[in-house]
Amino acid sequence: MTPKTSGRKSTGRINKNFYGYLFTAPFIIGFLLFSLYPLIYTFYLSITNMTLMSRSYEVIGLENFTKLFSDKYFYQALGNTWKLWLLNFIPQIGIAMLLAVWFTNNRLKIKFTGVWRAVFYLPNLLMPATIAVMFFSFFSLYGPVNQFTVRAGIINDAIDFFRSNGWAQTILVFVQWWMWFGSTLIILMAGMTSISPTYYEAAMVDGASAWNMFTRITLPLLKPVLVYTMVTSLVGGMQMFDIPYMLTDGRGSPNGSIMTMNVLMYMKFASNKGHIGAASSVGVMIFIITCIAALLVIKALSEREHKPGKRAVKVFAKGDLKA
Amino acid sequence: MSYNTRTILMRIFVYTVLVIIFVVCVLPLWIMLVNATRSTSEIQQGISLIPGSNLLVNWNTLTGRGFNIVHGLFNSTVISVSVTVLTVYFSMMFAYAIHVYDFSYKKFIYAFVVLLVMVPTQVSVIGFYRYMAAFHLTNSYLPLILPAIAAPSAIFFAKQYLESVVVKELIDAARIDGCGELGIFHRIMLPIAKPGAFTLGIFAFVGSWNNFFTPFIMISKMNKYTLPMLVQTLRGDTYRTEYGSIYLGLAVSIIPIIIVYAIFSKYIVNGIAMGAVKE
Repeated sequence: MTPKTSGRKSTGRINKNFYGYLFTAPFIIGFLLFSLYPLIYTFYLSITNMTLMSRSYEVIGLENFTKLFSDKYFYQALGNTWKLWLLNFIPQIGIAMLLAVWFTNNRLKIKFTGVWRAVFYLPNLLMPATIAVMFFSFFSLYGPVNQFTVRAGIINDAIDFFRSNGWAQTILVFVQWWMWFGSTLIILMAGMTSISPTYYEAAMVDGASAWNMFTRITLPLLKPVLVYTMVTSLVGGMQMFDIPYMLTDGRGSPNGSIMTMNVLMYMKFASNKGHIGAASSVGVMIFIITCIAALLVIKALSEREHKPGKRAVKVFAKGDLKA
Repeated sequence: MSYNTRTILMRIFVYTVLVIIFVVCVLPLWIMLVNATRSTSEIQQGISLIPGSNLLVNWNTLTGRGFNIVHGLFNSTVISVSVTVLTVYFSMMFAYAIHVYDFSYKKFIYAFVVLLVMVPTQVSVIGFYRYMAAFHLTNSYLPLILPAIAAPSAIFFAKQYLESVVVKELIDAARIDGCGELGIFHRIMLPIAKPGAFTLGIFAFVGSWNNFFTPFIMISKMNKYTLPMLVQTLRGDTYRTEYGSIYLGLAVSIIPIIIVYAIFSKYIVNGIAMGAVKE
């Protein structure tokens, strides 16, 4: 606690602004200790051959990376991560956009918007571990999905979903979509309702069609929100771990079809020898790929601004909280 | 077709789609909850939407095989409550400083925090693990709790919220009355910002409650397992054919969140929407 001397209270700006430093100090210290240092340390570990089993290790330069670039599993994980993210993100934003348009449409006047929205968002709050195990049980060979489809005569024989690459990927994409479309819906709706109705009124007077109003008014004005949604989803998607790890055996089975980069990182970390160096190099690659992709997205979607960095801040200053 | 018939047809179509999506969202959860009350043989006979009467038996099987749910609930609660308190308090403090004071690196640090929101954070977990291991802090909850002091997305939300509720004249009035700066923050600002702090707290709590990856890396002792780590063991061999128990374990892990959501869904939904668009 600061002593409450009368001098401190009565002096002007300079002393009060000392509290600006004081109040921001915990964050700065916490960030340096728990975020920045571990990140730099991970970069350092990625150029060593450290394992969990031995105390000594050496700096081996970029050997971990050269190994990684000749490792077919790495390319598979990289491809999987992008494929699984895109396949869930496109329907996610598509359906969220469609629902948001319906919910905000003055002519349709959809009732109970709040209830629909609240229910659609529910899966996002639930524990990913629970969701993964739940869908694993549902789609297992003797699970409810097979029971229902076989008995209803939709299929003749039960499908072993988790032995088929295509099915495993489809289920994963569905689960990711199921968890995230509600969140995207709420953000898009908030963006749409903040657009001034006068634009639409003016367009209506000019006889614009619904489609024209959507493409000429809604989409351009929604751009900051769209960039925000896409970037946060990208950053989350590149680090996808919980569902692909727990949906099958933790190695991305069948045939590594749902092995994401993060799962690969964990596999190297948890392997017999505990290859910390090799696992760190995967982490570094995820970091670099994500940052580059995020900057490209921001740059591509905000072509009029000259400074992508500043634009990013502006876009994010309009973003939301994803805990 | 007239304008009105077209609207009505469109409405029917929209409601049909909404009902389908509603079922897709709720049905899996409902089947899980119902199966938690049915016996294994009932579950194998087919799907039912009406609860059975096997709840107690399932509970005994579940807890009889090392699924220490009470322990898990307790561990998760300790971590999540601590994380919530730290996140809310320090994020509000940081946001308040940005909002009220002028200091040299103010603009820079806020821009930096905003950029941090889009930096992937899980990738440094290996370094974090080694670093904490050096202090013998694996199997301790401190590495799971302390990083909550620096939560960029929470700061971001807190700043948006404070801008809309904190009036600078009030702060000046308090200063004239002789209130110290820390006193102003604790006795005037925090009470005013209670609703925002509450929403922020819910998100911090849920985020920590659901977090699997970091505890999974840091904790190896069974009695220190958090709830998501326990849930993950339900996939293993111990419960291979005890379907009722598996579903009950899953149900128990999400019921607290469903109850919280049923009560506070307005806060939560508005919380997401609030940050998303600046008025």
